Amino acid sequence: MNFLPYIGKRLLQLLPVLFGISLVVFVLVHLIPGEPADVLLGQHATPAMVKVVNHRLGLDRPLWVQYFSFLSRTLHGSLGISFYNKVPVTSLINGRLLVTVMLLTGGILFSLMISVPLAVLAASKRGGARDQFVRGVPVVGLGMPQVWTGIMLILLFGLHFRFFPVGGFGDTFPAHVKSIILPALTIAIGLSPILIRSLRASMLEILDADYILTARVKGISQTRITVVHVLRNAVIASVTVLGLNIAYLVGSTVIIERVFAIAGTGSLMIDAISQRDYPVVQGVTLFFAIIVVVVNLLTDITHAALDPRVALK
Amino acid sequence: MQARKKSIAGLIAAFAVVVSTVAPLASAQAANSAPKGDLILVRNQDFATFDPSFPQNDSIFIQQQVYEPLFMINQDGRNVGPWLAKSAAVATDKVTWTIKLRTDIKFSNGQTMNSADVKFSLDKATNAKGGWEFLNTAIDSVTTPADDTVVIKTKFPWAPLLSDLACFSNAIVPNNYAGKTADAFFKNPIGTGPFMLDHWTPGTEVKLVANKTYWQPGKPYLNSVTWKYVADDNTRELMLKGGQADINEAPPATAVAEMKASGLKVGLFPAAQSAYLGINHKVPALSDVHVRRAISYAIDRKAIIKVVLAGVGFASNSIMAPNVGFYDPKTPGLQYNMKAAAAELAKSKYKKGLKLEYLATGGSAQDNAISSILQASLKKLGVKLVIKSVEPKVKRSMQKAMTYQLTSTAWTMDISDPDELLTFALNAKEGGAFDFYTNYDNPAVKAAVKKGQINVDPKIRQAAYSFVQKKTADDAMMGYLFNAPYIYAWRTNITGFQVTPTYSYHMEDVKKS
Repeated sequence: MNFLPYIGKRLLQLLPVLFGISLVVFVLVHLIPGEPADVLLGQHATPAMVKVVNHRLGLDRPLWVQYFSFLSRTLHGSLGISFYNKVPVTSLINGRLLVTVMLLTGGILFSLMISVPLAVLAASKRGGARDQFVRGVPVVGLGMPQVWTGIMLILLFGLHFRFFPVGGFGDTFPAHVKSIILPALTIAIGLSPILIRSLRASMLEILDADYILTARVKGISQTRITVVHVLRNAVIASVTVLGLNIAYLVGSTVIIERVFAIAGTGSLMIDAISQRDYPVVQGVTLFFAIIVVVVNLLTDITHAALDPRVALK
Repeated sequence: MQARKKSIAGLIAAFAVVVSTVAPLASAQAANSAPKGDLILVRNQDFATFDPSFPQNDSIFIQQQVYEPLFMINQDGRNVGPWLAKSAAVATDKVTWTIKLRTDIKFSNGQTMNSADVKFSLDKATNAKGGWEFLNTAIDSVTTPADDTVVIKTKFPWAPLLSDLACFSNAIVPNNYAGKTADAFFKNPIGTGPFMLDHWTPGTEVKLVANKTYWQPGKPYLNSVTWKYVADDNTRELMLKGGQADINEAPPATAVAEMKASGLKVGLFPAAQSAYLGINHKVPALSDVHVRRAISYAIDRKAIIKVVLAGVGFASNSIMAPNVGFYDPKTPGLQYNMKAAAAELAKSKYKKGLKLEYLATGGSAQDNAISSILQASLKKLGVKLVIKSVEPKVKRSMQKAMTYQLTSTAWTMDISDPDELLTFALNAKEGGAFDFYTNYDNPAVKAAVKKGQINVDPKIRQAAYSFVQKKTADDAMMGYLFNAPYIYAWRTNITGFQVTPTYSYHMEDVKKS
């Protein structure tokens, strides 16, 4: 199947989406009360000083002028300079990119490592003890707030056994990997219940299909039936569920980042909002939008690759 | 008249002697030994800037390890002593200050500090638009008659000058930023402090390493200090317990007992900070002094301290904190007394009760406690208190726009002299803050603040500031809530860590074994 025309078309669709998002975020961020100058000047800020700082930051210009200046900068590859840190927004995002990528990748890998065996275990005997046990896992998993899960993991594996650092991201790549394990596991514990339910339901549906009965009659082993015929087909629906959740995770890892003291794009966004750092808020939002669109695109392509009946139009 | 002149001259001479002898110097100290130990401090704020004209609490304490001022605040927080300066003397005209500089001070790039650096730094601080230049309002000119001498002329007699010069905003940087642009300089700052920049990763950490040219022999003891931004209170505590951090800045008061029990050292340092109930006098009911007094009497400070600070603070009785120079312990304030509160309300035209709104910070446990306790007390008086929670910056914005009725607010001193607070809080014109966003306007109080500024005689200043403290308390300008200590926790292998009442610390004195 030739994916290229489809990818090109989807990437073109990204442009109006990004334009719309940039406009909405720009307007919203300027509408919320509280000025950047207040954050920069603190308690001693007088109206005269606020005026000077607003002029320096270009915030005394009409809104539409500021917006088109932002658009023009963006088209030239610059997202502006952070009001708070006084460094380019792109460098701030780049500095956090590895954390976010590793966190998401680790979270997804751990989720799959937890979900797939448990879903297979549950579906292998509907209504049996194993199934009942696995069906309980999502209830427990979804009921545990991520903050609590994270702190429990830190207490156990960081403080008691000292296998992993309590917080931080380390200075070297091996240290990064070691640092990301507990946060990624925390994400996985939150994400797995959804995947387990989805995968189990799909597998049970497929196990009732006629072609599975035919396979059994032909004497194919249960393991081969499960892996080749059931799991491969069941995973198609779960890819969509996973894709939607990854898109959601991109902007919602902030709690994990806070608990484990790792500076990713989620905490960059939250700090920027509270600091009224407009260029950073706008830049990170655009970044999130691109990630979400790209993840959705990859989900569609994976779906089509797994199921040839799905046409990419 | 002659006798008066003599007494002023004597006073000035005595002042000069005192200033020149309260030197912190370690000239007799052992020769430099190699610094050792890498200290990690975890904090809940991200560092923002190395520009001394712009820092807030997020950046001040780190900047202070890189740059130093001419004078340094003492550990008691009430006075200053010479630091990069050797002495200061004010002439009989009361506006000419001659400051002698130490000649053994080097910047971290090896360049010797001289009067040109001082002039450049003070002029820069005076002309900045960063929020701290108001401290230098009185400075008329800075001249440099010799390499080791600076003469500062003030526009009028100005008692707080040395305290102002001890502020971080007046820190000394090399003349003309050592040939760099301001932007380039503040990315790689050069100072006379015990440490210099190794790297700064926004949102993550700032690492400083020992300045080998530091002027205090044998110091700093540490090889490096890293400030890591860890927003979550629990994580900071766990990092300390797990040995990933050495010092935890600002752990919650409610965790003090538990941290002590787990073998960590906990420091409760006396602080020049106060928490207040902000009152907007523009609201008709709150322009009535009896209503304000009733509210102030109705604040159950003990209950608030128990809930918010786990008992580690104490009730406030003055606009000034106890560790600020000229604090008057005799100021009675209006302490919790429901009978007196009812009597005050009965004197107002709201004797049948009224409805007020408390603007709280959303998600703040402190604001929740203060507002709920106040709500319960006021209910007994027939005052219905509605609590409205908003995001912190929205709250700040509403406070500044005077669109609130009651709210929580606070102040931390940055200098030893009360003038910083009193100008901000009680002089709308110079402070520019509508009298701490209360709209309180009392000409007698303003006059007393002015008197305190222009008189060098401590007795005259004390009388003026005692009047200010008593009058503002009687007028219930704000509700004085509590004075909390600065709380720090550290591992037992750390020694020499002290925090001044103005919330700064000397990392050059800290050792890690």
